[in-house]
Amino acid sequence: MTTTLSQGVPRARYSPGPAMQGVLTGAAALLGLIHRIGTRILMMLVVALVVFVVLRILPVNPLGMLLPATATADDVAALTHTLGLDQPLWRQFLVWLGQVVQGDFGASIQSGRAVGPLILQALPTTLQLITCGLALGIALGVASGLLAFRFLGRPVERALDVGGSIAISVPDFLWAILMILGLGIGLRWLPFLGPIDAAFNLPRVTGFMLVDAVLAGDVAAFGSVVAHLAMPALALALGIAPPLMRILRSSLIEVYNEDYIVAARLRGLSENRILFKHAMRNAALPTLSMIGMQAGAIIGGTLLLETIFSFPGIGSLMVTAIANHDLPVIQGLALTYAVAVLAMNMLTDALLVLVNPRLRLS
Amino acid sequence: MNLSFPFPRTPRFLSMLAEPRALFGVLILLALVGVALAAPMLAPHLPNEQDLVNTLLPPMWVEGGMGSFPLGTDALGQCILSRLIYGARVTVIIATVAPLGAALLGCTLALIAGYCGGRVDWLILRVVDVWMSFPAIVLALVLMVALTPSLTNVIAAIVLADWTRFCRIIRSEVVVLRRREYVAAARIAGARHWQVIARDIVPGILPMLISLISIEMGVAVVAEAILSFVGRSVQADVPTWGTMVADGLQNVFSSQWGLILPVLCIVVTVLATTMLGDGLRRSADPRLLGRATHRANTKGAK
Repeated sequence: MTTTLSQGVPRARYSPGPAMQGVLTGAAALLGLIHRIGTRILMMLVVALVVFVVLRILPVNPLGMLLPATATADDVAALTHTLGLDQPLWRQFLVWLGQVVQGDFGASIQSGRAVGPLILQALPTTLQLITCGLALGIALGVASGLLAFRFLGRPVERALDVGGSIAISVPDFLWAILMILGLGIGLRWLPFLGPIDAAFNLPRVTGFMLVDAVLAGDVAAFGSVVAHLAMPALALALGIAPPLMRILRSSLIEVYNEDYIVAARLRGLSENRILFKHAMRNAALPTLSMIGMQAGAIIGGTLLLETIFSFPGIGSLMVTAIANHDLPVIQGLALTYAVAVLAMNMLTDALLVLVNPRLRLS
Repeated sequence: MNLSFPFPRTPRFLSMLAEPRALFGVLILLALVGVALAAPMLAPHLPNEQDLVNTLLPPMWVEGGMGSFPLGTDALGQCILSRLIYGARVTVIIATVAPLGAALLGCTLALIAGYCGGRVDWLILRVVDVWMSFPAIVLALVLMVALTPSLTNVIAAIVLADWTRFCRIIRSEVVVLRRREYVAAARIAGARHWQVIARDIVPGILPMLISLISIEMGVAVVAEAILSFVGRSVQADVPTWGTMVADGLQNVFSSQWGLILPVLCIVVTVLATTMLGDGLRRSADPRLLGRATHRANTKGAK
């Protein structure tokens, strides 16, 4: 690698000067980004189509819930016409899509409330849980990965390996239940019902309770929210951390075999500087793509955690909607979950490009 | 060429049993199958038999427990041990059929995509992309809204939610194998496409397939537990560990045993499949095998 560069052979063929090169790289990166976003938007359309078709071919008759048992055939025909159910399926899809794009997901069959605001109201709770779980998971994963790398082949690494295996073997909702049993009921350390203690009355500004508590300047409420978030976030994190630990350790092992680490050592850099300035930057790449790959599992995990800890997020909303066959809500939420996964994939993609200059060219 | 043939030969395949973790996993899973098969003989009560006088009893070794209910009773006075034993049946069926179904669907599409390449490959990959943009749980739940609760439908939902795990990984293996010289040689020698796939490609993906199936076993057990936890799985009168967890959580303040025991059962089962999978991966992955022998050699030298 270093020898070819110093000979300058492969570079000489296309070297339009440093300034020009910078512009070209920027343009290529921008094009790449547009292409990526375009693909994602196309995928979103397909996802919307899938959601629509799957839930429309259900054996559940959407009229059954709306009409009384005494309805006549004329009533059925009239309602079918007002709901547009007598139109061909592709027409129905286009009409539905047009409404969805404008943020109109229809109204919940059960409560009669509009689905859009219903989801928007629940979304911050879920996003807050995902953010906290992800942050905790990444912190645990990176810390244990560094520790395992530092003590390679020693008992500490083996212990971390075994701990990681156990953490990943128990699914997150069972971790949640084990924690409720141990920390919640056994030791009575942490609360596990709802997102905040019922005694607090927090004004809703952003919907993110942590932020709302800060905005209200209420320290006690903030503490209560943190305490209520601790167990679900930890349960989520325990599923995220072990694969991160493994992949970070193995990519650190790989990176330390590279010439540039030897070169950095020869330059007399301290081990800490080598680790954080050189090794970590390169080892971060597979770790980041791992998080992107896990997006679906992480976001799906919140569904059950919210049900167990009675958080009023979109997971609880989904479980109630499924119990009631509330199709408009299920449709809206399935789409929301898909958007969340795609958004998280896009975020990790963008971060990868940001961290890795080599990706900007392709 | 014969040396690089990746099919796990019987001796090496059996050698994974020498690994204590894999052996432990196999033994637990075999015990579970035995319990599921012999459920009517082992269980002291019928799973839905209610004893409304003796509700929420603790296990017999705790004060207040009764000998006729070895692990206590739930809120309806149903014997927890019997329900756990009968619940093992659903778990065993799910853990065997669902991974095989997902493997069959995923592998078929992966072979078509990887072998044909071109537009077919592109199309199948995009389908996988769309599928993977739903969290698997959400997909399985939505499918269970569409389907009536029954064992076959639960299996169908899990298969339809999880086949992408197989498809994506196996496809990339097929793409690599397809460019091997022996595939070209077989084609030149006059083998038909299906013969090449059956004799030269399928054996090559088997090690990966086996370890993926063992991982999927644990995933399927958890998926079923989640579905029955939210009440969208088999018929309501069939006991499952997931329903027991949901029931136990409702009565958690009066008695914890009804919650702890089914959770333990799920955890041990999933742990067993993970260990089996680890063992299989180690015995099937030539790189890890090389590392192990290398370590043994250096140890011997010391």
